[in-house]
Amino acid sequence: MLDGILTGLSTAASPINLLMVAVGCFVGTFIGMLPGLGPISAIALMIPITYGFDPATGLILMAGVYYGAIFGGSTSSILINAPGVAGTVATAFDGYPMARKGMAGKALAIAAYSSFSGGTIAAVFLLIAAPSLAVVSLAFQSTDYFALMVLGLTAVAAFAGKGNVVKALLMTVLGLMLSTVGTDQTQGVQRFTLGMMDLTDGVSFLLLAMATFALSEALMSVLRPKSDADRARELEAQKNLGSMKLGKEEVKEMVPVIGRSSVLGFFIGVLPGAGATIASFLAYGMEQRLAGAEKGALFGQGSVRGLAAPETANNAACSGSFVPLLTLGIPGSGTTAIMLGALISYGIQPGPRLFVDNPSVFWAVIISMYIGNVILLILNLPLIPYIARILAIPSTILVPMIVFFSLIGVYFVSFNTFDIHLMVIFAVAAVALRLLDFPMAPMLLGFILGGMMEENLRRALIINDDSWSFLWERPLTFSILLIAALTLVVPMVAPVVGRALARRREAAGEGG
Amino acid sequence: MLTRDRIGALLLLAFSIFYGVRTLYIPLLPFQAEAAFTARSMPWALSVLGVVLSLVLLVRRGTGARVEAAGFQWRRAAVLCALMVAYGLTVRPAGFLISTSLFLIGGFVILGERRIWLILAASIPIVVFFWVLMTQFLGVFIEAWPEFLKG
Repeated sequence: MLDGILTGLSTAASPINLLMVAVGCFVGTFIGMLPGLGPISAIALMIPITYGFDPATGLILMAGVYYGAIFGGSTSSILINAPGVAGTVATAFDGYPMARKGMAGKALAIAAYSSFSGGTIAAVFLLIAAPSLAVVSLAFQSTDYFALMVLGLTAVAAFAGKGNVVKALLMTVLGLMLSTVGTDQTQGVQRFTLGMMDLTDGVSFLLLAMATFALSEALMSVLRPKSDADRARELEAQKNLGSMKLGKEEVKEMVPVIGRSSVLGFFIGVLPGAGATIASFLAYGMEQRLAGAEKGALFGQGSVRGLAAPETANNAACSGSFVPLLTLGIPGSGTTAIMLGALISYGIQPGPRLFVDNPSVFWAVIISMYIGNVILLILNLPLIPYIARILAIPSTILVPMIVFFSLIGVYFVSFNTFDIHLMVIFAVAAVALRLLDFPMAPMLLGFILGGMMEENLRRALIINDDSWSFLWERPLTFSILLIAALTLVVPMVAPVVGRALARRREAAGEGG
Repeated sequence: MLTRDRIGALLLLAFSIFYGVRTLYIPLLPFQAEAAFTARSMPWALSVLGVVLSLVLLVRRGTGARVEAAGFQWRRAAVLCALMVAYGLTVRPAGFLISTSLFLIGGFVILGERRIWLILAASIPIVVFFWVLMTQFLGVFIEAWPEFLKG
């Protein structure tokens, strides 16, 4: 492991990679601050640029963008109550009231220190967990991988929230359907190309990600323009930040919260499909309960604990979500799904072999997380008053720019104008689905995992002489599939059982 | 009642049926007909799953929320989409510099920007900078001018 750390350190600390972490953090903060544009859009926008680099440098840049975007999202949550990403919604609960009290600078500093601590502590866990899990997962077979992918997809749907499980599942299926467009990898036959040559290679994941996230967000902001009051609020927020210094009392209050939320955030992040959003809400809820009646009542009104908990947890979860990506090749979130797609297009197959075949990539990404967190703290925090000026750029200029970078990012990869037209079609469809409240992340995850899932299932069947018995005869496969089934069924059944029990108790109460 | 959930369910039901029908058009080689898993297997399963889930969403008692589209700038968004399509059609024949500058200028105007200095300052210099960055520093060849302007 020490050799690996040293390899990673020498790769990550090379001047070009250090520069990339810094650029990634800076650009990520910049994009993440724009309401609506989160890490998925930020990373998707950077992918065409990373094609010119070697895989380690490209991945380091994307990891930097990831943290930067999460941090940028916190900034817009605190300053204008407009979270750039779902993972920073809980940050706005106490960050925005703090900013309203004239303590925006302090809130940003708490967010930055919490993010730094959460990210750094979780990176230590990652350093220990990832290689151990990678060694264990070398024993995994195609059947287990197939089962793990099923688990990843069902988990995304299961964590979609109350009433949205069926919608998330449908979107996952839609993503899987789109992944089948093009030439079948094994049999070489064309599927769903509708006779179009341009679809022979299928739909590119970058195109789909850009169209359904960045482009559809731009179209949404055209459909629903901001009111003058909102604009005035944004301009005011970026002008008056106040002091960024923290008092002793505040630091004392933050430390235990950071410790607890880091652990919670990391483990939630490791679970496929859970990610930063759930981690931040759970940490917020946990701290509110632990704070007691008096301090708990301050949550939602500018509490230091209420701000530190979700900020720590969402960054820790970001590091945690790299565990399944680096060790199993299975993305735990929409963002890591994009990274998986990028890795595959670099010619690198993530998974347990990554640790063996490309140790420099594996370790450099982990080490770059430390560097990224340090850069976020020492570079981005002092620059926040300047970066926040992006909020002053009028949307009449910003939106066409985002549209341009999205279109050209995809066009520069294929140099096929058909892709631009396909993007418009996907973006319009994504806007329609978003207006109908259908989530996009499960679709993207389904799309990226679809090809791998089919390939693993096919391989498993060939190994097992066309017999499906491996699904229940191989203990590991069966266990994972059982967990997948429980992950899906329990959240659906639990409320029904709860209601039935409540009715029975009520009836018993009336009877007695 | 046509709620948000039901409209979405109907759209995805139609798509799943279309997808299922198109599955029949996937060619199979003779020796694959008896195989346990063919190029049609996963699409079939997905089509069935899509239909079943859409029907569940259609018949279940949902939130009852309707589509909220009051005050939306549909026309502006549609014109922006048309501009994107036009950009796709012109980026090759008109060259990168002219087509992209016109695309950005068009986009700013569609979104309501009327300050000419800002429109020009935010389009032409950025397009030229981007072109120089891509061609000179990142080694990506992009045709700058249309065919008839080249010497």
